[in-house]
Amino acid sequence: MKAIVLRILLQRPGLDRTAGLFRLRLRAGGSQIVLAAFVLVAILAPLISPQNPYDPLQVLGWDASSPPGTVGSGGYAYILGTDGLGRDILSTIFYGLRISLVVSIVSSLAAAMIGLAAGVTAAYFGRWIDAVIMRLVDLQLSLPTILVALIAIVTLGPGVDRIILALIIVQWAVYARMVRGVALSETRKSYMDAAQLLRMPTLRILLRHLLPNSIAPALTLLPIEIGHAIALEATLSFLGLGVPLDKPSLGSAVANGFQYLMTGQYWISLFPGLALLCLVASINFVGDDLRRRLDPRSAAR
Amino acid sequence: MIQEPVVPSLLQMEGFSLEHRSVFGPVSILTDVNFSLGYGEVLGVIGESGAGKSTIGNAILGLLAPQFVRVSGTIRLEGAPIDDRTLERDIRGHRIAAIFQDHTASLDPLMPVGKQIRETVLALDPALTVSEAKEVSLQLMTRVGISDAARRYADYPHQFSGGQRQRLVIAIALAGSPDVIIADEPTSALDATVQKQILALLRSLVDESGLSVILVTHDMGVVAEITDRVLVMRKGEVVEQGRTAAILDRPQHVYTQSLLAAVPRLRQTMAARKVRSTSPQWSDGRSETPILSVRNLSRSFATTGPKYWPWGETAVTEKPFALRDVSFDLLRGSVTGIVGESGSGKTTIGRIMAGLEFASQGCVAIDGREFDVTRPGRRSGILGLVQMIFQDPSLSLNPHMTIERILRESIRYGAGDVERPSDCAAMMERLGLPRSLLSRHPHQLSGGQKQRVSIARALLARPRIVVADEPTSALDVSVQAEIVALLKEAIAETDMTMVFISHDLALVQDLCDQIHIFKAGRIEDAGSPHYIFSQSTHPYTRELIAARSSWFTR
Repeated sequence: MKAIVLRILLQRPGLDRTAGLFRLRLRAGGSQIVLAAFVLVAILAPLISPQNPYDPLQVLGWDASSPPGTVGSGGYAYILGTDGLGRDILSTIFYGLRISLVVSIVSSLAAAMIGLAAGVTAAYFGRWIDAVIMRLVDLQLSLPTILVALIAIVTLGPGVDRIILALIIVQWAVYARMVRGVALSETRKSYMDAAQLLRMPTLRILLRHLLPNSIAPALTLLPIEIGHAIALEATLSFLGLGVPLDKPSLGSAVANGFQYLMTGQYWISLFPGLALLCLVASINFVGDDLRRRLDPRSAAR
Repeated sequence: MIQEPVVPSLLQMEGFSLEHRSVFGPVSILTDVNFSLGYGEVLGVIGESGAGKSTIGNAILGLLAPQFVRVSGTIRLEGAPIDDRTLERDIRGHRIAAIFQDHTASLDPLMPVGKQIRETVLALDPALTVSEAKEVSLQLMTRVGISDAARRYADYPHQFSGGQRQRLVIAIALAGSPDVIIADEPTSALDATVQKQILALLRSLVDESGLSVILVTHDMGVVAEITDRVLVMRKGEVVEQGRTAAILDRPQHVYTQSLLAAVPRLRQTMAARKVRSTSPQWSDGRSETPILSVRNLSRSFATTGPKYWPWGETAVTEKPFALRDVSFDLLRGSVTGIVGESGSGKTTIGRIMAGLEFASQGCVAIDGREFDVTRPGRRSGILGLVQMIFQDPSLSLNPHMTIERILRESIRYGAGDVERPSDCAAMMERLGLPRSLLSRHPHQLSGGQKQRVSIARALLARPRIVVADEPTSALDVSVQAEIVALLKEAIAETDMTMVFISHDLALVQDLCDQIHIFKAGRIEDAGSPHYIFSQSTHPYTRELIAARSSWFTR
């Protein structure tokens, strides 16, 4: 990690533009480190967690609702306290990260790809193809997100894979509408005319010319939507329709502490919430940096 | 003849330097600009894009973004330095007013124009009653040449033509009876004939009421037409200033000389030019069969084209025509100029020939083979037979591809031949582009270079017909001349047939064998350049020729 910090500090492009770029680099570099740390923790959760919160044998009921710092009967300290069932909050966060990250990233990437394909297709072909796709998008977006997700979960049944599917159904339309708008203005630019004049295969025009120039806004949207996905998954879990109760995600860990907030047991909700905040913020900053780098016209490249 | 102003100067800029400070560090925008504007004087500020000419106007008006920081210098109005507070309260609108290029953006589309002028009058003089302000507004409208002002008072901006809208913007600028008007490219968005009228209006305002004008422009023609003195800007510095006549006749600085040399000139007598042909038919070995014929082509704005839903009705409402019953032939190896003002259908005809748009009626034949151009290009089969060079080079190259990939794509798909890597390099060389550019992306190239790549792409597809749609309009004057020279060369080397679409008669004069003049979707006049410039008595042709500034008609 020290090496990364050093690399960021030493990347100075010309003196005149150092200061501004440096700030951008520092923010991007910082959030990259935070995000990398989160991912690392998620991967290594079984090795570094003091306790496996999914294993009923390791969870000690009489340690329930211990405040942060309490040394439990297991012999180790509950650094961030325990929840109402006696699960170590730190371990819950570590394990919860895995579920939250996998669910949100997989669903957002899949939704982005479907949305990109749909948006570009609608913009390029126009007419009835456009009409069909966009009316579908309208239908999707006119219903409240949570309602669509609920209907999907109720129809599909519970389970992590079903949640991912439900989130894809909820999210693709957002990408499709945004990408279509951009792609529509790109199709009017004369480089698209030039491609037409060369009688290139339609697929090549779509993939080589239209798609790369319409992808930037989808990438900007991606981190925001990953954040949304994490929140939506938490909501579904809160309603008892998300991930199974015995395998809490970051979101449902927050929801778990909801009923204890009134009695002053803040740590059950607060720490998973803070973890969620840092996670979403770092994803946003990294996404911002990614967009800047992918745009060939950007000076920060 | 205008006298040299002897009275003390009205507005002065002394040692003015400006920097743009962004996260990327400071960039110098203006360096040590000195000038003074006399009473009743029109000062032209000319330069190519990025020269800082608009920044001067904005600096005087205090309209600069906060990142622009004054490094040194003062601006004085009648000797008193302007500061931000007096500027806001007493000067902007009252003493110094502005006219901007885009007359559409300068007017509120949801408010009657009369009311817009009245509001300005009231804001600048709160002592007036509403009815007095209306009276003043009507006078202003009449003064800028809106006939029947009382009747048009309640009309909305869209009910006026572009030229009339710019007149209304001038009326608003005059509302506070200012001493100085800063006009930033006031006529650049207008057609040549309308441009002439607006400039005449500005000049008459100056002559009648002692108003002074700072006219920011990139067009030497505008400078020659109405300015008394001129400031030549380059990269934020004033390279030359002086009396307009003196600078036009004896430019001292090399840059001014090159700017002047680059302006396309109109010659009314063709004696100086070796006339290639007096009739559209060739006498030298070239074939006389047309390579492309356009027959009775019409295009109405209401599309009779593809339906939105497969089972839906086709829209056939009678609407104004973009093209009406247009027919002409292109002779093999000839260059045909299509000239017209905006809305004349000149771009539409070019795009129909290339198969990028469809017509409502008529057909296009290439080499005797007829194409049903009422269908989209891919289906009618015409797509790909004609290549195009587009107006805006920044939009015509895919920003995500390197120059080499752009050109190779053209070789591969255009000619249907085997891809030969040597072709790219050879073409680059032919068009005067360094080979090192092959690995660059379009945004790393200048406008002129991008347009050359665009030409290279069109030529590498080895078309027999090329349509160039205003290929120089988005470029600076000095680059325009290079591009035209390049096209001339390219045509001379091959047996390519070319259509050159332009709004500028002077530009097509030397290039074309045949000129068609379009107006409102019809061909108004057609013939060889010799005929068009020296013999044609068609009133519209004469009007177009007269619209050019007289200084450049020699």
